[in-house]
Amino acid sequence: MSTDAVAIIGFLSLFVLMLLRVPVGMAMGLVGVTGFGYLTSSAPALKIVGHTTMRTVTDFNFAVIPLFLLMGAFATTSGMSRELFRAANAFLGHLRGGLGIATIAACGGFAAICGSSVATAATFSKVAYPEMRRFGYPQSFATGVIAAGGTLGIMIPPSTVFAIYGLITEQDVGKLFIAGILPGILAISMYMITITIIGYARPGFLPAGQRAPLSEKLSALKDIWATLLLFAFVIGGLYGGLFTATEAAGAGAGGAFLIGIARRKLSGPDILRSLLETTRTTAAVFTILIGALLFGYFLTITQTPQKVTAFLTGLGIGAYGVLTLIMLMYLVLGCLMDALAMIILTVPIIFPVIKELGFDPIWFGVIIVMTVELGLIHPPVGMNIFVIKSVIEDVKISTIFYGVMPFIITDLIRLVILIAFPIIALFLPSRM
Amino acid sequence: MKSVYMDRFIDSIEWIAAVFVGVVAADVFITIFLRYFFNIQIPDSYDFGQLLLGILIFWGIAATSYRGTHITVDLVYANIPPRWQRAMDVFATLVLLFVVLVQTYTLFDKVVSTRDANLQTFDLRLPVWPFYAVAWIGDVAAVLLIAVRTWRLIFHPELIKKPDELARPVE
Repeated sequence: MSTDAVAIIGFLSLFVLMLLRVPVGMAMGLVGVTGFGYLTSSAPALKIVGHTTMRTVTDFNFAVIPLFLLMGAFATTSGMSRELFRAANAFLGHLRGGLGIATIAACGGFAAICGSSVATAATFSKVAYPEMRRFGYPQSFATGVIAAGGTLGIMIPPSTVFAIYGLITEQDVGKLFIAGILPGILAISMYMITITIIGYARPGFLPAGQRAPLSEKLSALKDIWATLLLFAFVIGGLYGGLFTATEAAGAGAGGAFLIGIARRKLSGPDILRSLLETTRTTAAVFTILIGALLFGYFLTITQTPQKVTAFLTGLGIGAYGVLTLIMLMYLVLGCLMDALAMIILTVPIIFPVIKELGFDPIWFGVIIVMTVELGLIHPPVGMNIFVIKSVIEDVKISTIFYGVMPFIITDLIRLVILIAFPIIALFLPSRM
Repeated sequence: MKSVYMDRFIDSIEWIAAVFVGVVAADVFITIFLRYFFNIQIPDSYDFGQLLLGILIFWGIAATSYRGTHITVDLVYANIPPRWQRAMDVFATLVLLFVVLVQTYTLFDKVVSTRDANLQTFDLRLPVWPFYAVAWIGDVAAVLLIAVRTWRLIFHPELIKKPDELARPVE
């Protein structure tokens, strides 16, 4: 059988196994090793399982994932999100749709210390949703804002998706984090503008709150020092070249822990819960990473990335034509499967195409994270939507999807802006 | 009563992994702190960090495999009746068992070859293979737990808890 036929059968088997709910990492590993073994022999195929697995789990660079997850878990359990929301509300709550705008601002702030969109969405479902409902905000809008605001978790550093992309493509994780700052600020601004437009387009739909007195503003500001300190410590250290990404993650986890203890916001059970959550997520991520690396051997021996690159660059539609095709593919795939699984599965194949076309790998990382963000909120498998539904039980899934629609349009516009102006993503990394 | 002991055993495995997460974080944090403020280097902190990472991941995978909190594609699963969902769960768990069994076999080979090669840590010259062996025991625990999960899925599905979606905050 030709390598092309083996590659096609391999991919079909992989999709069938994934649709039958075999864990994505295990399915990738199984198909990768079986295919590799078929084209070589079983002995080297079995050898790479032990070697690759042990090498992956004992690679110190990969420790960036559990450590940033732990930092986010400590930040979440110690209630920093509530303080951020209070501060944002004190300054922005008097505007039309002000609580929505404050939610976006607080999500942005929380994203700066927590690299997870799902955790951000879950946290603000508890913190911001009751407030918005209390002030008469429609359920669709309130949940839509939280779903969209939650996606900021992976664009604004630290970000687990950036870390995974960096590890797969061997790009500097620190540069990727810094590249996410300006696109993250752009996202916050565009979401706020969207809420303002909704507020003015539909008068009475979004109420305005009362202006907070100066004393309340100052008191609220006083509470967010911990968040600012942690962000400055971690990202400042990274940008200033003081830490590697893994060290920054360790410093962040230790810093979040000490701040939580010093402010008496982290109890014994909180610490244990944070460690447990981190363990579960780390294990799930590493399973998929090991699977992806094993599948990589299959891709290499079948020369799939080279063939896909030759095919796409031979279409004669130009670099941006190919990029548009890739983006469309991601949007379609995002309707079918988990965003992270989609990235880990496709990046090893797509990345050589991107390099061949002359696009910057760091910039493409930002574009990839944008597609994951979209995948988190667009139907039918938007993870943030399901997380919000699991926290707010009396809301329908369709209501959340309805509420998030304006933000999906905003995200598509932002994607076009980031493609048209790569400098937005590349300006800060170029200064490092 | 037996299932209570089994649940405690599973919880213990997860706690072991959780403790290692804390140890790795403490190792990195203390190393940075001592290096920047006192110019002191902990011997083998880098090697310990990565070896402990390996241990925590294998023990974590054991618990994750039992709890069913791996990343999966639920497109078909979410749209089929419960009877078919259970069949799909059993199939997926059997595949998982097979893959982890092969992985455990090959990892044992890796532990033995590392011992034979007398691989040591950089500063203290400690043998690396005992760390690999502890990690490998985590993989053995994974095989046992997946076997228990398969048994329960087939004969006692009421004992399997639904995975909590909030336990996947990676994205």
